[in-house]
Amino acid sequence: MPPVFDSEACMGCGTCEDVCPADAIYMETINGEQERPYLKYPDECWHCGSCRQDCPEGAITIRFPPDMLSI
Amino acid sequence: MKAREVMEIHSIEADVLVVGGGLAGANAAMGAAEKGASVVVADKGKIERSGDIGGGVDHFMAFLKEGPEWDTQDAFLNYVERVGRGTGHLSIIESLYCAELDDALKRMARIGNPLTQADGTFYRTKSMGQPGTYWINFNGKRLKPCLGRAVRGLGCTVLDKVMMVDLLTHEGSVTGGLGFHIRTGDFFVIQSKATIIATGNTNRLYENPRINPFNTWLCPFDTGDGQVMAFRAGAALSNMEYMRMTLLPKGFAAPGFNALVGMGGRFLNSLGEYYMEKGHPMGNRAPRYDVVFHTLEELRTGRGPVYIDCRGLETRDLSHLKASLGYDKDTLPDYLEQRGEDLASKPVEITVSEGMQAGPTEVTGSGIKVDRHSAATLPGLFACGDAADHNRCVHGAVTGGYKAGKSAADHARTLKHAARAASASIRGSVDRFMAPLNRRAGYPYRQIENAIRKIMAEHVGPLRTDQGIRTGLDKLARLENVLDEMRAGDLHELMRTHETRSLLQVGQMMGHAALFRQESRNRPYHHRLDYPETDNERWCGLVVLRKETGQVNCSFEPIVYR
Repeated sequence: MPPVFDSEACMGCGTCEDVCPADAIYMETINGEQERPYLKYPDECWHCGSCRQDCPEGAITIRFPPDMLSI
Repeated sequence: MKAREVMEIHSIEADVLVVGGGLAGANAAMGAAEKGASVVVADKGKIERSGDIGGGVDHFMAFLKEGPEWDTQDAFLNYVERVGRGTGHLSIIESLYCAELDDALKRMARIGNPLTQADGTFYRTKSMGQPGTYWINFNGKRLKPCLGRAVRGLGCTVLDKVMMVDLLTHEGSVTGGLGFHIRTGDFFVIQSKATIIATGNTNRLYENPRINPFNTWLCPFDTGDGQVMAFRAGAALSNMEYMRMTLLPKGFAAPGFNALVGMGGRFLNSLGEYYMEKGHPMGNRAPRYDVVFHTLEELRTGRGPVYIDCRGLETRDLSHLKASLGYDKDTLPDYLEQRGEDLASKPVEITVSEGMQAGPTEVTGSGIKVDRHSAATLPGLFACGDAADHNRCVHGAVTGGYKAGKSAADHARTLKHAARAASASIRGSVDRFMAPLNRRAGYPYRQIENAIRKIMAEHVGPLRTDQGIRTGLDKLARLENVLDEMRAGDLHELMRTHETRSLLQVGQMMGHAALFRQESRNRPYHHRLDYPETDNERWCGLVVLRKETGQVNCSFEPIVYR
């Protein structure tokens, strides 16, 4: 389920949420303070790579799901 | 959430409203703003990354007048006539594309994403039946961010994450539109002197060979919303019978394989035969519909799997390919790597894509019927890009988008002010469009959508008959009866629910047009088993759809060639 977020490298800026054309990425509060992205609608990802291209911290990798890699 | 309690209604006035901020919409906004109009752009996403090319693009079709006979406007229009006979008026394509081309090429450079290579030259390739190297291969990964910056820099009001759901009309003219913010639920009432529809083609409409309906070639968030709004308001549409398909990697509907054929990729079946080379005089570089037709035949007759074979590419092209494969789909190199594919050393399995409502060629479109000025058949309404019937692809969106913007600004200048919509009727509309959110029980949008996709694939697909299409239309009518029983759990689902409504109505339009056209044209995009031949005596022209007494009415408009 791409994208995969590296929560260590992520600074919580919300760019990925902002640019996602699927409205699939949302922010959540971790440990009561830090904002981190999560993929709320993984099935609706178009794998356009916009989140990865625009992430200022390089914190996003793309991992394709097994159905797409196998069929 | 209870949207009714928190929602606000915002009223905005502008000279020009652009519905959809993709490649066509962003160029339309520039065209209108550079003529001095005040502009509002609304998009379901953020315009820097929304639409078909949000993540990038690598191709743009152009004649460049660099010397060869095929590199001229006349030769290009001959090509349009040859591959798109009966699907577009050359005079309109001349006005929306040819006349705008020089300016479009300069504009892309001006905003910071030129179509040239680092050394200032064009990298040109040939495929899809072209007489010469009409494709410019370029790095368009920053094209949308550059356009977004240009649009905002011109002072346009950009409403990101606002889904437009209806047009406002007054005495037969279009006077703006209504939409809601998909995160806040706020409603926007935009009153404009001119309105441009730039919502792309329609995807998620046919069963998907890759299982997930969102794994589509073109943007899965383009669901024909603008075409449906325009039709409901009374505008004419044309070329809606064509179900476009293309060839894509088996598990991932990634574009970018155009470039492979342009550089010399060959289509291969499981018997080791290069089937296009025996099936068509132009071989692998035949028009797209012919390649899809022959590939479907290979699969139907059990000669699949089919592959694209790039082992014979020249070293120069292979190294260019390595550098440029991610231009059209940023994640395609990741996909091939994770799947263990290597284009240079072994063929990669491909298949025919899902069907979609889109133009029958790369140079003729499908959707809202426009004239030489991008004007629809209703006063105050314009259309461009894949939502318009004489615009298609990247080149069509950039040229035709800007043209639509200029024409809309000219129209706006003839009016003193935008007509005001009655606030009581606005309130009623808001309640109606928010209703799925307030239902305690109902069907999820996916349940309805899955049924639409199955009906379309089985009855309005690549092999059509009168009886089959009628059966499909009956089934769609059954689904139409339950559209008001869909429930949305949140605003995201509310957006999808409205998209589902659009899909059903686009499907119905396609069915009616496909039933009306009693011939086959650009097979397999419109292939009637009961009328398998192309009949240029009777059917060289457009099937035009209009809403009449609530029904879809079809008529025929001939196209005459000199």
